Amino acid sequence: MSQSSPHLRLEQLVRHYAGAAAPAVDRISLDLPRGALLALLGPSGCGKTTTLRMIAGLEKPESGRILVGDRDVTALPPHKRHMGVVFQSYALFPHMTSVGNVAFGLEMQGVARAERGPRALAALELVGLSGFAQRKPRQLSGGQQQRVALARALAIEPDLLLLDEPLSALDAKLREGVRDEIRALQQRLGTTAVFVTHDQTEALAMADLVAVMNAGKVEQLAAPEEIFERPATRFVATFVGRAARIQGRLEAGGVLRTEGGAALRTHSSLAAGPVEAFLRPHRVRLLAPGEAAPTGMANVLDATLARRVYTGEIVALEANTPAGVITAELHAGTDGPWRELQPGSPMRLAFRDTDLLVFPAP
Amino acid sequence: MIGWLLALPALGVMGLAFLWPLAMLFRISLNRTTETGAMEVAVTGESYTRLLGDEFTWELIGNTLGLSGTSAAIAVAMALPVALMIRAASPRWRGLLALLAIAPLLVSGTARLVGWMAILGDQGMINVVLRWVGLTDAPIRMINNWTGVRVGLMESLMPYAVLVLLAGLGRLDSRLEEAAATLGANRFRTFIRVTLPLAAPALLAAWLLTLVLGISAFITPRLMGGGRVFVLATEIYNLALESVDWPAAAAMAMLLLGGLILLMLLRGGVGWLQGKRA
Repeated sequence: MSQSSPHLRLEQLVRHYAGAAAPAVDRISLDLPRGALLALLGPSGCGKTTTLRMIAGLEKPESGRILVGDRDVTALPPHKRHMGVVFQSYALFPHMTSVGNVAFGLEMQGVARAERGPRALAALELVGLSGFAQRKPRQLSGGQQQRVALARALAIEPDLLLLDEPLSALDAKLREGVRDEIRALQQRLGTTAVFVTHDQTEALAMADLVAVMNAGKVEQLAAPEEIFERPATRFVATFVGRAARIQGRLEAGGVLRTEGGAALRTHSSLAAGPVEAFLRPHRVRLLAPGEAAPTGMANVLDATLARRVYTGEIVALEANTPAGVITAELHAGTDGPWRELQPGSPMRLAFRDTDLLVFPAP
Repeated sequence: MIGWLLALPALGVMGLAFLWPLAMLFRISLNRTTETGAMEVAVTGESYTRLLGDEFTWELIGNTLGLSGTSAAIAVAMALPVALMIRAASPRWRGLLALLAIAPLLVSGTARLVGWMAILGDQGMINVVLRWVGLTDAPIRMINNWTGVRVGLMESLMPYAVLVLLAGLGRLDSRLEEAAATLGANRFRTFIRVTLPLAAPALLAAWLLTLVLGISAFITPRLMGGGRVFVLATEIYNLALESVDWPAAAAMAMLLLGGLILLMLLRGGVGWLQGKRA
């Protein structure tokens, strides 16, 4: 990841679909260092799958370029791109065994017959399925099929590994395990990879870089922490993670004045005018009666509890404040004196000026 | 219960127009043909033994199977690219293309054969052009022989082949072909290694259906064969209306029916296998 020249570079990619007014992919550009894992994250229809398919060569961009290393692959058909693709539905060949599926790619890459078998088995071993080599896809569970698909894509030692929603067809229980396995394997082999997902947790947990996409454009390309803590746009702030919305006017000195009369300190350097701020529930502290706000917590709001949702580890307090409805999420075991609070109880909430993510009102 | 009641009219028509005549036909096949050629009421298998003992019958069976087998195979082979193209088309074109592919079914089979005569005949389009260009002196015979029958039969079978293939290929996931491409297979190898094996059950089903249709075809061999092409269907006609040997005609019809039922069972078996694989 230290090399300066990117392994994958997308330049101004554009793709329209017939009959659609807006482009599916609208001038997307990004660089990905060698060995890194990029997540394309966005709601359905944001163009993330189209972008992946264009990288794989399964769809042609109308304009723009795709470079792998210093090779321009924009005009190459998929079979000359040398990229391993794991499809959402796995797309295993039903008439071949697991090992046959994996060996197929090796055969197409021109690997000698004698070498194919051992290499295909080694790839299956890599995903922990060497005992299932002679099974047909329909004799495998969803998770096993997924791993055969991964082995098949990795066996050809691709220049780039592409995964289209690789976990969406799996049971929720399996998902986390497979997620970590894919990530560990990708890091061990040093494969540069791109994966598409609509699940923010998946993207944050797996990726080195996250590209948040909306309406065919990349809203922000950054490391997971950056995306979550310093969202570049209003869309990123609302799509990744949950947040309470506070509306008001920004005044000189970065003070946000709400209609309810609250004056909140922010870190914003925006010009004065109508703004919208977002506040993540886990950033909000509950103060005990008479307790002074801890140093650095510049904002304190008087509030009334509206609703209390206890889920074991976490308790969510939904409160009415002069800044609107704000939710505070506390660790039920350790945080704050929430147990005495009932709906209607007065309370005080505190948070830092940097906790407010401020954007111009739409 | 209601379902049975609603099905009654159709079952009635089937019974009256199909099963009853079939039973009559079977009964006639058991009658005896006397020396003078008259039909005598009896219960005997004489017509069957006479037919099966006649070399000409076996030649007819060979002719029929050879003609329909090859015509069906060519029809399916030619229908496959059409079906693949329709499948690859965007959804808005798919319906129209499928309709175009089966449009020949909307025209009477006889009219289409007359069309073929105008194209393939001695004074037909092809021969006129060939002579005009100077490639041939005498017309190439393309009708009133096996070639003409085969061309006509193949053309009439193709729409059915396209229909069966479309139904069969519809289940084939196009992601599989994409996966093959990303693994390094060019279009040809993808076709040979992925598309074709997965389409095999559909191809077999299409071949068996068109084979059955080809075996029972009567008008095409009759019109395009010009009396020189002998298959089971034309022979039944000859026996019944020219030799007026009804028991023999009925017996041959029963033999043909038995063969066709056997083939349909085979086709059912293929469909069952397909269902099991999917």
